[in-house]
Amino acid sequence: MCRIAGMVDGKLAIGDIENIVAEMCQLQKHGGPDDGGLYTSESDHLVLGNRRLALIDLSSEGHMPMKYQDRYFITYNGELYNFLALKEELIKLGHEFKNHSDTEVILAAFSQWNFQSFARLKGMFAFALWDNDEKELFLVRDSAGIKPLYYSYNNGKLVFASETRAFAPVKETQENNRQWPVYLMAYGYIPEPVTTLTSVKPLHKGCFLKYDNSTKNISLQSFAHYSYSQKFEDAEEAKIQTAKLLDDSVKRHLLADAPVGVFLSGGLDSGIIATLAARHKKTDLNTLSIYFEETDYSEKKFQDILINQIKCNNYQYLLKEDEFHDSLPGILNSMDMPSCDGINTWFICKYAASRGLKAVLSGLGGDELFGGYPSFNRIKAAILLQKFPDMLTSMGKRSGFKRLNRMSYLRMDGIKGIYLFLRGHYSPFEIARQLDASEKEIWKILNDQPVLTELTKLDDKNQASWMEFNLYMQNQLLRDSDVMSMIHGVEIRVPFLDDDVIRYANKVEPSIKYTGPRTKQFLINTFYDNLPEQIWNRPKMGFSFPFSKWLNSSLFVKELMENSNKNSQVNYKKFMEGKLHWSHMMSLIILNYRKAI
Amino acid sequence: MPNKILFLTLKVFAATGGIEKVCRVAGKALYEMAISKDATALVYSMYDKQKDADENRYFPSEMFRGFGTAKIKFILSSLLKARSCDTVILSHINLLVVGWMIKKISPSTRIILFAHGIEIWGKLGSRKKMMLQCCDSIIPVSQFTSDKIQKVHQIPSNKCRVLNNCLDPFLPLGKEKSGRDIFRKKYGYTGNEQVLFTLTRLSSKERYKGYDRVLHALVKVKAQYPQIRYLIAGSYDPQEKAHLDELIARLGLDQHVIIAGFIDDAVLVDHFTMADIYVMPSMKEGFGIVFIEAMYYGLPVIAGNKDGSVDALCNGKLGILVDPLNTEAIEDAIERILENKQSFLPDRELLMANFSYENYKHKLETIIEQP
Repeated sequence: MCRIAGMVDGKLAIGDIENIVAEMCQLQKHGGPDDGGLYTSESDHLVLGNRRLALIDLSSEGHMPMKYQDRYFITYNGELYNFLALKEELIKLGHEFKNHSDTEVILAAFSQWNFQSFARLKGMFAFALWDNDEKELFLVRDSAGIKPLYYSYNNGKLVFASETRAFAPVKETQENNRQWPVYLMAYGYIPEPVTTLTSVKPLHKGCFLKYDNSTKNISLQSFAHYSYSQKFEDAEEAKIQTAKLLDDSVKRHLLADAPVGVFLSGGLDSGIIATLAARHKKTDLNTLSIYFEETDYSEKKFQDILINQIKCNNYQYLLKEDEFHDSLPGILNSMDMPSCDGINTWFICKYAASRGLKAVLSGLGGDELFGGYPSFNRIKAAILLQKFPDMLTSMGKRSGFKRLNRMSYLRMDGIKGIYLFLRGHYSPFEIARQLDASEKEIWKILNDQPVLTELTKLDDKNQASWMEFNLYMQNQLLRDSDVMSMIHGVEIRVPFLDDDVIRYANKVEPSIKYTGPRTKQFLINTFYDNLPEQIWNRPKMGFSFPFSKWLNSSLFVKELMENSNKNSQVNYKKFMEGKLHWSHMMSLIILNYRKAI
Repeated sequence: MPNKILFLTLKVFAATGGIEKVCRVAGKALYEMAISKDATALVYSMYDKQKDADENRYFPSEMFRGFGTAKIKFILSSLLKARSCDTVILSHINLLVVGWMIKKISPSTRIILFAHGIEIWGKLGSRKKMMLQCCDSIIPVSQFTSDKIQKVHQIPSNKCRVLNNCLDPFLPLGKEKSGRDIFRKKYGYTGNEQVLFTLTRLSSKERYKGYDRVLHALVKVKAQYPQIRYLIAGSYDPQEKAHLDELIARLGLDQHVIIAGFIDDAVLVDHFTMADIYVMPSMKEGFGIVFIEAMYYGLPVIAGNKDGSVDALCNGKLGILVDPLNTEAIEDAIERILENKQSFLPDRELLMANFSYENYKHKLETIIEQP
C-alpha cells in the first residue's frame, strides 16, 4: 500500500535527517504515488517518512505519517484485514477515531495493548511506530513476511526503509556485500537475512525491533510465528473449514475504496480466488490475465473457461515479444534486490495499473500450504539420500547432469542442503568457476547463511511446506510480488496467506492436506463444486512465459554478454544451445548488468 | 555469540510451576537471540511430549523436541546433539549427569546450569557435587540462591551469574479494570473491603508459604480494620484444606477468609486487580515470580526476608520485607499499608528496569556471550 522510511540519529542535525529521509522516500515514490509526508521530532533527532498508495480511506485523512492522541506516530505499509472488528473492540474500550483508515486502528490498538497489539493484527504490514512519551520506536513486520522492512543499526543510529535502494543517501550503509553473487547463483535470489549491503538487514517476519531513544539500544522480539502440528484429522471437516476460511479471507482481502482486481493465470489457485471473489463483489470485480501468441505457453483457453463462469470485467492482454524486449532493461532496473524471476509479475502489474486497478488478488501461497510443488513428492528421497556419506554425493559434483550436479548440496546439513538439492540453481563447483573463486570459499559462504532451524521432527511433506514457505515463497515470490507491483503503483494481496488460513492449514494432518492422486487434490476436493474440471484436470503451468525463446533472441542480452567475462560467455553459449535454464541465465544477466562480476 | 545452543529441560509446557515458566521464557529469549545473531537454538524436554509444544506462543515447535519420559532416548539424543553445540544450558540440577557426560565427550562445549531454589540449596552427594564443578557457569535466579550455592557447594563466585526471573512477555497489560468489580462481587466484596491476596500451591508437605502466619496476624488486624479480607487461591491437597479450615474456624476468621482453590490463568489478572495487597511471607522461594506479577498489577507487596523473595522486592525498595517467622512484623506491615496504601504502591519504573522481559533477555545474552 505504501513505502516507508525513517531515521533516528542523535549526532546528525535534524535538517539533515529530514533531507535524507525525504530523499529515501523519493527513491521509493513508485510505490506511493498518491501522497507523501514526513513526521519530525526535533528533540529526538527522529524523522519518519511515507509515500502513500491509497486504498482504504482515500481522503487526506488517511495521510501519513499519522498521529494518534498527540503521542503515537506511524508510517505504515500494508493492509489490516481485520481492522473493522478491531475498531469495534477498541471503541467499546473507549477509543475515539477521527478517520476511516486501518492506520488509525493500528495506532489505537498500540495505545491500548502496547507491543501485545501486534499479535492481534491480521493482515500484511510493515510499519514504524513512535511513542513520543516513552521515546520508543517500534519497527514491526507481519508474520508471513509479506511486506518488506529493511534496517541498519550502528552505534546508536537506526535507519529503515521498505526497499534497499532507499538506503542510497545514507553513505555508511552502502558497503557492498561481496558475497551476494554466490547466493544469487545458488538460489536464484538472495535469502534472508542476507542483502546486497553488508550493514542492511531485513527485519525477521513476525518480529518487532524496539529502539529506545534514551539508551539508543535495540531489542528484537518475536510476536508471532507459524508452526506445524497434526491437530485436525477429520478430512470432511478440514474441507469445510478450509472453504470457509478461504472465503472469509477473500472477502476481507477485497476491502478497498479503490478498484480491485484478481489475477487469473488459468491455474487452480487463482481460479479458486477468482471464483470466491466473484461471489462477494459482482460490480467492481475485474480479472486480469496475460496470454501469448506462442500457444505452448498460453493459458488462454483455461482462462476463458473460468471467465465464462465468473462473468465479471475481464481483461486479457496479449503480451508480444517486442514489448518484452523493450521492457527488459526497465525490468532489471525495477528490481530492488536481485532476483532471477519477477518478470511475469512486472507485466501483469503494468497492465493492472493501465486498467486503473490499485490492488490485485493473487493465488500466491496455495502451493506452499497444500503441496503444489514437485518438491513435496521428492523430499522423502532427498532426506534419505542426505543420510548417505559424503562420498556418494560428491560423485555428482562434476557431472554434466544438472540434478546430479546439485547432489553435492546434500552434503550440507538440514533443510538447506535439501532445498538446494531440489531447488537450487548452480552447484558450488559451477559457482566457483563462474566467479573465479575456490570451491571451499563458496561452500563456506553457503554454509554460513542462512541459518535455518532443524526440522527433523516434522512429517516430511510438512518439511517441504516449511522449506517452500520460508525459502522460495519468502525470498522469491513475495519479494518479487512486492517490488514488481509497487514499481507500477499496484498492491498485490494474497488471500492464501491470511493468518487464519495459514494457522488452520498448518494444523491439518499431512495425509489429508497433501492427499493425492493429483497435486493439490485437497483443494480440488474442497472446491470441486465451484471449479470447472478443465481447470484442475490439467498440468500445472503457473505463470509461464516464453522466456527462454525471448531471452534467446534478445539483442540487449547479447550485447551485455558480449562485453562480459569469459565464464559468463561460456554460460551464455550453453543457454543459447538450450543447455541452461532461462532463470539461471537471468542470474548471470543481473550479475553483469549490475557489474558485480 | 555461540552458533548453536542446546537447552535441556525437564518440562516446559506440560506443567505450570515456576521452573516451567522460566523454561518457556528462556526458550523464547533463546529463539530471539538465534534470530538476531544468526545462530541456532534447540530445546529438548525429557518429560514433555512433542505435542505439548503445539500452538505455544513462546517459540516455534520446530525447535523443540519432547521425549515424553523416554529418558534413555533423551540422554542419548542430548549427547549426540551436544557434540555440535557450543553451549548447553541445563534447566535443573536433575539434568546435571547429562551435562557432566556431555563435558566428558565434548570438553569444549560450555555447560551452564540454572539454579532455582530448594532443589539446590541442600547438601548434595559427593558425586553430584563433583559433577556440579564441571559446569562452566551457573545461573542462580536470585542472590540468595547464589550465596547459598557458593557457601554450601563451594562454587567460586565468578562462576555464578545471577539472573533474576522476569515478567512473562505475554502477561496481559491489565489496563481493563472491568474485571475488578465483577470479581469482587463474586467473592462477596461489595463495600470498602480491603483484600489481602495469596496465590500459591497449598501443600501439606511444603508449609513454607507463610499463609498460616498471615491468618494469625489477621486476628489482630481485623480488630482495627474490620473491613479486612483474605483470599487464598491456588490448588490444594485435602489435608492442607482441612488444616486451614480448622485454623480459620479456631481463629474466628470465617467471615474474613476465603479459600478460592485453583484459579485459571485466564482470570489471573482479574484476581490481581481485584485485590488490594499481595502477601506471602514465605521461607523457601528461589525467587518468587508471583511477587513481580502482583506488583506489575499495582499491588503493594509483603514478602519474607529469608529467601529469594528479597531479590523480587529489590531488597525492600519495591515492597515490604518481613521476618516470616514474626507474626507481629506481618501485622505491622499489613497495617502500615492499610493506613497509607498510596505510599506502598510499587515503583513501576524500578520494577520494569529490573524485571522486564527485555532486561532479562539482555542479561541472558550477556551471560551466554561472555563466558
